[in-house]
Amino acid sequence: MLHSYDFDWNVITDNIPRLAQGLLTTVELAVIVIALSMVLAVPVAFARMSKIEVLRWVAQAYIEVFRCTPLLVQLFWIYYALPTLTGVTIPGFASAVIALTANLTAFMAEAYRSGFQAVPIEQIEAAQMLRLTRLQRTIYIILPQALRQQLPVILSLNISLFKDTALVSTIAVADLMFVSNTIATQTYRSLEVLTFAAVIYFVVAFPVSMITSRIERNMMTAGQAATVPRRRLRRLTPQTPVGGAV
Amino acid sequence: MTHTDNPAISTRWGPATSPVSAVTAGIGEVLVSARGLQKSFGDRPILKNIDFDMLAGDITVIIGKSGSGKSTLLRTLAGLTDPDAGRIVFDGKVVFDEQKRTQDWSDVEANVGMVFQSYTLWPHMDVLANLTLAPRKRLKMSAAEARERAEVALAEVGMGSHLRSRPAQLSGGERQRVAIARALMMGPKLLLCDEITSALDPPVAAEVLEVLRRLKQEEGIAVALVTHDMAFASKAADRVVFFHDGEITVNATPDDAFNHCDDPNLQKFVDSVRF
Repeated sequence: MLHSYDFDWNVITDNIPRLAQGLLTTVELAVIVIALSMVLAVPVAFARMSKIEVLRWVAQAYIEVFRCTPLLVQLFWIYYALPTLTGVTIPGFASAVIALTANLTAFMAEAYRSGFQAVPIEQIEAAQMLRLTRLQRTIYIILPQALRQQLPVILSLNISLFKDTALVSTIAVADLMFVSNTIATQTYRSLEVLTFAAVIYFVVAFPVSMITSRIERNMMTAGQAATVPRRRLRRLTPQTPVGGAV
Repeated sequence: MTHTDNPAISTRWGPATSPVSAVTAGIGEVLVSARGLQKSFGDRPILKNIDFDMLAGDITVIIGKSGSGKSTLLRTLAGLTDPDAGRIVFDGKVVFDEQKRTQDWSDVEANVGMVFQSYTLWPHMDVLANLTLAPRKRLKMSAAEARERAEVALAEVGMGSHLRSRPAQLSGGERQRVAIARALMMGPKLLLCDEITSALDPPVAAEVLEVLRRLKQEEGIAVALVTHDMAFASKAADRVVFFHDGEITVNATPDDAFNHCDDPNLQKFVDSVRF
């Protein structure tokens, strides 16, 4: 049975600047972590597929450690335990960036690896026969196809990361969750503030989720048809007869 | 005689710009020579002491049952698969010698193109980008120069109107013709074709093979072709090489191979392909 409750949404309007600042920190953190992870995951994925056994083991160990331990533990370990080990205190925001990047990179590397392995070997050999260097083959042939194929997975990981940034409030990073919690504690208006925070997270994540679903649907349709829709074909090649296309 | 002395081998594609690219073998001279080539996958020997010569400007058709070693030979000549033993000489230069532990594929890389059985056009690029990527990145051509060359190459294979098409919009035969055009962009003197028509209907396959015949006649490009098309082999080939169980058991002109050869395995194979 629900209690009667008088909502007071003024607590939100009165604290818009603080909440906006918190949201800015959340977005900033998410953007930095996603950008770093998307780059760092490439060498990790290649190391995971390397013919050099030691390199492959190191990459696999890294991936498994970060996939099989809770993100909160990783965050606490870097913020509280690492300074004990090294004697260097890492600020909260930097700790958050390190922990979230290390975590997302592990997942992203596996998505990349799956995408790399899906590129037919003949396409890479054709590039080799055309004298493209290993780096050129990676940049122009492998990466674009792997990224395109794994785009839904990559976007899903990024949505998860955006939501997971809320955990950094536990190490006093003033993100949206931390600010919301602080305001809720100060005003005793948890329901309004935390509902608003949830709505904000949803408003940012939902469009990306919709885009992901759309891409997945398009990829499934493309896979079934194995060709470009006729209408789009005509637009792309107005002079080209379509009948003979595979 | 050098290739520049001989108009038949001085192609409109011109030599690749790499300093290692100048082919000196004239038409009818040995371009590729392999001796004692051996290759095993696990315990299974695929190439058993293969001796093989190919002349500049020749079409060599390689036939044989699946798994007999045809494709492995092409891959070793292309440098995609290292032989376990033997020696490969390209245009007078040793590119691989297992005994002397020599391995330098630069001349092969500069002068040999390969077209594969499966469609290997890069699906995320249109035809123009497929053709111009390697010349722009490796031969340092300008975009305009590469495009001009692509238009010539596509016209050569009868695909001039498909510059902006995506591979998914092309039929199997069209894709293979574009793949040939892409290989031509790097100015090869030898084109290795691994069962490029096996997935095509006979009339489409004939069109693709006709392109190869024209390339040999008009451009002097040597072609090594793995195929089951006996009609093409008998009409257009200069040499027919028959593989049986990892060995070359027949290496002859088409007339000798198909009309005067008493190799029972070849006769059996030809009969099985015909019917």
